[in-house]
Amino acid sequence: MNIAVCIKQVPDVPAIRIDPSRMTIIREGVDSIINPLDVIALEAALQLRARHGGKITVLTMGPPQSEEALREALAYGADEVVLLTDPAFAGADTLATSHVLARALSLLAPFPDLVLCGRQTVDSDTGHVGPQVAEELSLPQVCGVSEIHLEGSSVVVKQVSEGLIYTLRVSMPALLTVSPELTLPHHCPLANLERAFTEQTVLKWSTRELGLSPDEVGLAGSATRVWRLFKPPPRRKGEVIVGSAHELVEQLMEKLEALSILDEETGSE
Amino acid sequence: MKHRESLISAHHNYLVDDMLTPGFLLGELSSREEFFFLADVVPSGESGPRISGRLFDREGRFLVELSGGEMVQNPSGCTLQSFSGGFRLIHPSGETLLNVNTHVFTNGFMTRIQGRLFDHNGKLRAEPSRESIKISGGGKPALEKPER
Amino acid sequence: MNERSYSGIWIFGDYRNYFQNRVTLQLIAKARGLARTLKTEVTVLLLGDHVHQYAMEYVAHGADVVMVVDHAALRHYQVETYTKVVAGLVAEYRPEIFLAGATPFGREFFPRLAKRIGTGLSADCVALEIDPESGLLIQTSPSFGGDLLADVVTPDHRPQMATVHPGVFEEQPHNGSAMARIVYPQVEIESDDRVQILRSRAEQKGKVRLEDAPVVVAGGRGLGSREHFDKLFELAELLGGEVGATRPAIRSGWAGNERLLGQTGKSVKPKLLITIGTSGALQYTTGVQGSETIIAVNRDPDAPVFKIADLGLVGDARTILTLLLEKLRKRL
Repeated sequence: MNIAVCIKQVPDVPAIRIDPSRMTIIREGVDSIINPLDVIALEAALQLRARHGGKITVLTMGPPQSEEALREALAYGADEVVLLTDPAFAGADTLATSHVLARALSLLAPFPDLVLCGRQTVDSDTGHVGPQVAEELSLPQVCGVSEIHLEGSSVVVKQVSEGLIYTLRVSMPALLTVSPELTLPHHCPLANLERAFTEQTVLKWSTRELGLSPDEVGLAGSATRVWRLFKPPPRRKGEVIVGSAHELVEQLMEKLEALSILDEETGSE
Repeated sequence: MKHRESLISAHHNYLVDDMLTPGFLLGELSSREEFFFLADVVPSGESGPRISGRLFDREGRFLVELSGGEMVQNPSGCTLQSFSGGFRLIHPSGETLLNVNTHVFTNGFMTRIQGRLFDHNGKLRAEPSRESIKISGGGKPALEKPER
Repeated sequence: MNERSYSGIWIFGDYRNYFQNRVTLQLIAKARGLARTLKTEVTVLLLGDHVHQYAMEYVAHGADVVMVVDHAALRHYQVETYTKVVAGLVAEYRPEIFLAGATPFGREFFPRLAKRIGTGLSADCVALEIDPESGLLIQTSPSFGGDLLADVVTPDHRPQMATVHPGVFEEQPHNGSAMARIVYPQVEIESDDRVQILRSRAEQKGKVRLEDAPVVVAGGRGLGSREHFDKLFELAELLGGEVGATRPAIRSGWAGNERLLGQTGKSVKPKLLITIGTSGALQYTTGVQGSETIIAVNRDPDAPVFKIADLGLVGDARTILTLLLEKLRKRL
């Protein structure tokens, strides 16, 4: 069973800084990681491969430094990794991003049985790319799966949605986005990491290899524009108190009283 | 793309030809002897449908007049059977002329009417359609305010 | 953009878990304000099987028009089937703005629909306004777990689509005297059976439902040991809440994965969050910063968790937790 996993490199910072002149986020000097839910998607792919065999291809669209994320994916165990990179891709919204990813996936031979990605990213948070790639490739989709089992030419998945657990059969090829309950990522052995960075290759595709024109991608291929980026007004007045344990607990109790938490009956409903 | 349109009330609607409508009138109210059938608009505050009408058979013979959920004239000897949520009007021959059934929602009501209605000329003016009733001939298909 | 103009504000009627899930009603109320500015109408689009009751509810809460496609094949929310029907309706009726609640279904369905139509979509918006100069819909969408807001517009594509965070706008009260128009488009329905629902069941009662708990008590590595972490359970019970944990606490084996809070775990918005011995890494805080009130306990006065707390207590997590429990046992 061949699986493609779409990942995204995201910034790993406790606080975001904005460049007001370009209305973008400052990424220079910021550490990057693979979006945590994409790591879970990759782990799920590895588990499926361990059980059913096949090839795992990991793709990402991003600036040249996204190659690091792909090398990490190799270290985790991906068979093949593809970097979709081109200055023309900059400023893409999910419409344009999904177009690039879908085109790249359509060039994989054989076409994957499953396309996996994280349900959403820690940065843009939209959760749109999965469904939009599925739409462009005319694949059935299920978002936020917590279990995946292969059954012949279908997968049976579980999806928890608003208090209900759905068990669904999806015919392949299909696209699934994964939820955190699916699995925990395993640790990556250091030796693998070294090899991934020194010995293995990363395929690089630009608009040329993908057969795309500049107006289909990046900002030009996007339907939305960001007019303004801003931090929300601080919602917390945030008193920080230092004192003895007794004083601190006093303050805590007062706060609980003020919130009427202590008036209610004990125990949950 | 074709579409059909009606009005809809927040409080109570009849299901007519698979569409919701606050009320409808077949025929005219003005005459004292001719056919009419009125499923009137139910004002917010009331909970039952307002059904009245003068019904005839396929030969154009007068059967029964309904008003306020009661038979005010009944030359043919029909029976009015109440049940929880509605009523049934039955002809001595055993045929159900009219079946009126009200569903209660959390914040409103919906009434399904089923029946085969003929006017004073013996013309078919209403007949069962899937889950509701299909109406034809002159009248007002979507009332906004009570007629009576 | 096509020459024929687009007008009207549409809202996707998401009635799953209605009467609890009221986001459609909230959107109707907000859309009425936008419609006044644009001098247009609010239409709620309703797909399903026997959905009469919802049509009436939407009218009662302010819709000008309800557009209904009532068909057995639409009984279950199904992404591909719904996408096909709705894309066809959008092509026919050309709404200028199309909104949906950011419910789990909305967040799977609306992006696919926007892609099929070929238009822009913003996610989980917390504000919507009409720009007075351009007439465009300004969609305020959060990113980085809410740490950053973006005002997004869709200048050249229509409709302008957005999913909206539940609870941001306030619904209009129920008005039983309301009347509106109802439209029944005649559409062909084709079920897409590539995704089949085999079964569905309610999540088990008694299972950890962190998302519903009014109080969440969360612990991290600062608690030092399983023994101390376990005290959180008593605290939760005394306060009528549930216990959550950070990834380090779960890695240490103090709690199961179902209690994980944060980006790769659960997102919670309780009335009160007490977070003890947690440093406040971004991946954790994105899952809890929506809480109404946050009380944080940490030994380090510079811990990032204090940035999101209403009340921050600098002290040893274990000591404070033990003392708190003593006082609460006496008090309650």
